[in-house]
Amino acid sequence: QNPNTKYTVGEITVAGNTTFNEQTIITYSGLSKGKEIYIPGEQISNAIKKLWGSKLFNNIEIYVTNIEGNVANLEIRLSDLPQLNDLKINGIKRSKQEDIIKENNLNKGVKVTENLITTTKNFLTKKYKKEGFYNTKIHINTVEVKDSLKTSRVNMVLNIDKGAKVKIKDITFFGNEVLEDKKLRASMKSTKKKNFLRVWKRSKFIDSAYQADLGHVIDTYKKNGYRDARILSDSLIVNDDKTISLAINVTEGEQYKFGEINFIGNSVYSDEYLKRLLRINKGDTYNSILLQERIADNSKPDAFDITNQYQNNGYLFSSVNSVEVNVENHVIDTEIRISEGKPAYFNSVSVVGNEKTNDHVIYREIRTRPGELYSKANVVRTVRELGQLGFFDAQELSPNFLNPNPVEGTIDMEYSVKETGSSQIELQGGYGGGGFIGTLGLSFNNFSIKDIFKKDAYKPIPMGDGQKLALRLQASQFYQTYSFSFSEPWLGGKKPVQFSASLSHTKQFGQDFTDYTVDKSRSFNITGITFGLAKRLSVPDDFFTLSQSIGYQRYDLNNYNTGLFEFGDGYSNNLAYTIGISRNNTSVDPIYPTGGSSYSASAKVTLPYSLLNNVDYEALKNERDENDVIRHDTNSNPDEVLAANERIAEIDQERYKWLEFYKVKFKAEWYTQIMKDLVLKPSTEFGFLGAYNNDRGVIPFERFFVGGDGLGNYSLDGRENVQLRGYPNNSLSGVDGGTIYNKFSLELRYPITLKASAKIFVLGFAEAGASYDNFKDYNPFDLYRSAGAGLRIFMPAFGLLGIDFGYGFDARPGTNSPNGWETHFIIGQQF
Amino acid sequence: CSEYQKTLKAEDISDKFKMGETLYNEGEYGKANTLFAQIVPNYRGKPQAEKLMYLYAKSFYEMGDYYVAGYQLERFASSYPKSEKKEEASYLSAKSYYELSPVYSKDQSQTTEAIDKLQEFINLFPESDYVEEANALTKELSVKLEKKAFEIAKQYNTISDYEAAIKSFDNFIFEHPGSSFQEEAHFYRLDSAYKLAINSIERKKKMRLEAAKDFYIEFKEEYADSEHIEDVEDIAIELEEELQNYSSQS
Repeated sequence: QNPNTKYTVGEITVAGNTTFNEQTIITYSGLSKGKEIYIPGEQISNAIKKLWGSKLFNNIEIYVTNIEGNVANLEIRLSDLPQLNDLKINGIKRSKQEDIIKENNLNKGVKVTENLITTTKNFLTKKYKKEGFYNTKIHINTVEVKDSLKTSRVNMVLNIDKGAKVKIKDITFFGNEVLEDKKLRASMKSTKKKNFLRVWKRSKFIDSAYQADLGHVIDTYKKNGYRDARILSDSLIVNDDKTISLAINVTEGEQYKFGEINFIGNSVYSDEYLKRLLRINKGDTYNSILLQERIADNSKPDAFDITNQYQNNGYLFSSVNSVEVNVENHVIDTEIRISEGKPAYFNSVSVVGNEKTNDHVIYREIRTRPGELYSKANVVRTVRELGQLGFFDAQELSPNFLNPNPVEGTIDMEYSVKETGSSQIELQGGYGGGGFIGTLGLSFNNFSIKDIFKKDAYKPIPMGDGQKLALRLQASQFYQTYSFSFSEPWLGGKKPVQFSASLSHTKQFGQDFTDYTVDKSRSFNITGITFGLAKRLSVPDDFFTLSQSIGYQRYDLNNYNTGLFEFGDGYSNNLAYTIGISRNNTSVDPIYPTGGSSYSASAKVTLPYSLLNNVDYEALKNERDENDVIRHDTNSNPDEVLAANERIAEIDQERYKWLEFYKVKFKAEWYTQIMKDLVLKPSTEFGFLGAYNNDRGVIPFERFFVGGDGLGNYSLDGRENVQLRGYPNNSLSGVDGGTIYNKFSLELRYPITLKASAKIFVLGFAEAGASYDNFKDYNPFDLYRSAGAGLRIFMPAFGLLGIDFGYGFDARPGTNSPNGWETHFIIGQQF
Repeated sequence: CSEYQKTLKAEDISDKFKMGETLYNEGEYGKANTLFAQIVPNYRGKPQAEKLMYLYAKSFYEMGDYYVAGYQLERFASSYPKSEKKEEASYLSAKSYYELSPVYSKDQSQTTEAIDKLQEFINLFPESDYVEEANALTKELSVKLEKKAFEIAKQYNTISDYEAAIKSFDNFIFEHPGSSFQEEAHFYRLDSAYKLAINSIERKKKMRLEAAKDFYIEFKEEYADSEHIEDVEDIAIELEEELQNYSSQS
């Protein structure tokens, strides 16, 4: 036949070993009866390609079986790819086999191709090399299964011979005169020789890491002025099956010094200013690594370098490069060439990926707004703050720079977000406190209250307005707690004024101690409601927050004796107003801040009822004191004691009808990076609870309890637990708590890892603090001191967990020897 | 219902097809869909497949499962290019994407995709009876995108970032020339410029007052009978009063 003759397709037949329907194969090939094609031609090869593409067939061929006139009959010959029937893995533990099947998709029924075998082999070889098994051998055999089934199937045997783990016995350097072997070995970050003392890094040999480490060796030379240092050769010596040695030949060259450093092209910043940023002087040892870091430190996005100085002030299109212009007598003159470009302004700013959260919740938090001067720092801050909202996956947040236009000086910003689950449902039941306790908790962190009556919004709950809504019910035989809270971060949508409201009710029943059953005739109810407003201020700067709240609690006692009151029947009201101001600019990571400070001061006050209600509290106080003497007098007869108790209860009811107090608190903490990642955190705090009327007295509520882990567990009485490690919980205050306290603390922190999946750091601390019963006793030098060390682990799913070991140097009240060691478990506290 | 259950468990595929079709015609799309899903693999490559695939794809649409409907209908249209149902399937596929478009204040990638699909349909079947409706849907989606851009710009006005508001409205006015929000955008741009000028630091005040005045003149020319005209005139008077302070100087 002539090449490229046009034919009409006649009959198409399918031959070969296949279980697929003939028609299906023909349709899939794209050929059909009556179609006009060229032979040879594109259609035929396309059909073959398509069939290959299905990954179902092997040996695909198309033949012309017969030609009559211009009608060509075709035959498609192919055979099914064999399916994997059974897989046997030899050489590794059963528990690891599952992983291999998953990682390579070696499930029963997959089509076994050459490609599958090769990629599996490569994958495994690589995998074990990474783990240090340098001599791994992988063999894959396939055996056809012969049985009555039509489908062709194979059994696969995967033999893995990991061989012995290769460790590095020794690393030796040759040709190094100025720098010692030890120093050079230390600069190799992942390639280490065997050492029993090393825990974190193992001495396995990984080629890619080794190559990078050779670069690090040269960097160490460069940092010391040896600009010409090279690795001449390196050899890997196999000692035996288990160990290798590395021999590295270096040439050091001469040491260089910095000569003249000139800036060229700068008009926005003066030479003097840029020199101050550079912090390198003529005559310093030449260090190209340091020079590069001062120009642009790629390891730290918010470093204080020359590039960032430009980038944070609008010069997006700027570039800074250093060039060695002259080398003479080992002195290098450097030119820092700056191209400033036009200052860039944001043109449009957009957000994509917000499938649940409404625009307005996001845009109001963005610090790069249309028309504003470009600032890299603001982009970084926006990404951080969007991450802190908790609605988006902080790892997936990315700022995209679109349509950069150096001529006009504009840039578009797009923030790409990915929604994450921000709702929690807690449903639990269990035994505790002598009975069944059931808990139902719902918390929605991105709620939309305006949509609660819209049926369409329930997918599954109305979301997207950034409001928080939490509901919690807990009940057991002995008590019930209901609480509800709601907060809206931008009340009215105009200003960042957070509104919050919470409502709670607790009902506690008495317990019959003889048979541990509930006694419903005795009860203690607490009902509370709080409204708060917190406003982000712009003056003095935008790290300030002013918050106000008003709260009301009612305590109702029904034949129920608690340690709080002298009376078992009665009530007490607590209506208080709190005003606070705080400033927080700690950065960058909220779990591990490395800079900034946080201050907060607050005052909680009630109305001065005693000024208004004409009750003679002095007389009541005297009467109470008299009765107190009577009831503690061993000579009093039981009737007198009873009468005295009753009268005291009556007086206390009068005193606590409305709780009257004021409370001021102050707290400050600072974070300073003293060495690379080592952070020093000094902090201090102070609190005072006072009464307007000294005869009415300081209330038994709202008091300070110093000592221990500082976790607030059980607080019916509004108490505040103050952390002071090295002593048991609450052990440094009396049973009733103190009315004044202060605390000073110094903490040194060092991170082990700060990855998003888990942040771990160790800390050492020294602290001192105390509480006092009244102002007369107050002595800021009479403190309980302690020191110790601890560990913190933060994982997103669990929150913060920690353990601290503290040694108390002082004797706690009632004892006379130093308190000694205490262990504290820290849960969920952001310290 | 028991007959349905029986057919569901039975082996005979033609019974399932028949029953599925009956259920489909009765409006029992969910049940029909379940039956169709069982037999789709069996009919692949057979002549009846065309009808089956059409009913199967359309049952997703009728059930409101627009994610799958969009895909299945599109697939039907490309698998059976000669089908008489191709036009309808293409249209309903595009409409499924339309149905997936969320409220304006959320991510609009679905909306953009829907507009593309509808436009594709209109280009492919310019004579179709559905074109009118497709145009209406496209329009509705475009308005949604305009509303999004408008509301974002307006929020800058609400949170008192007037400079960002002016820039955003500038962009809006330029990028959406035919939009029904043009008048509102012009008004809020003027409002933002006015508030920026009134609250301005002294150094920039005159410049900002003048910029606001320019916006006023532009508004007056284009929207003389706007419902905002009274507010606008009030703004103009105040701008003029403030500018008096500068006329004697310089």
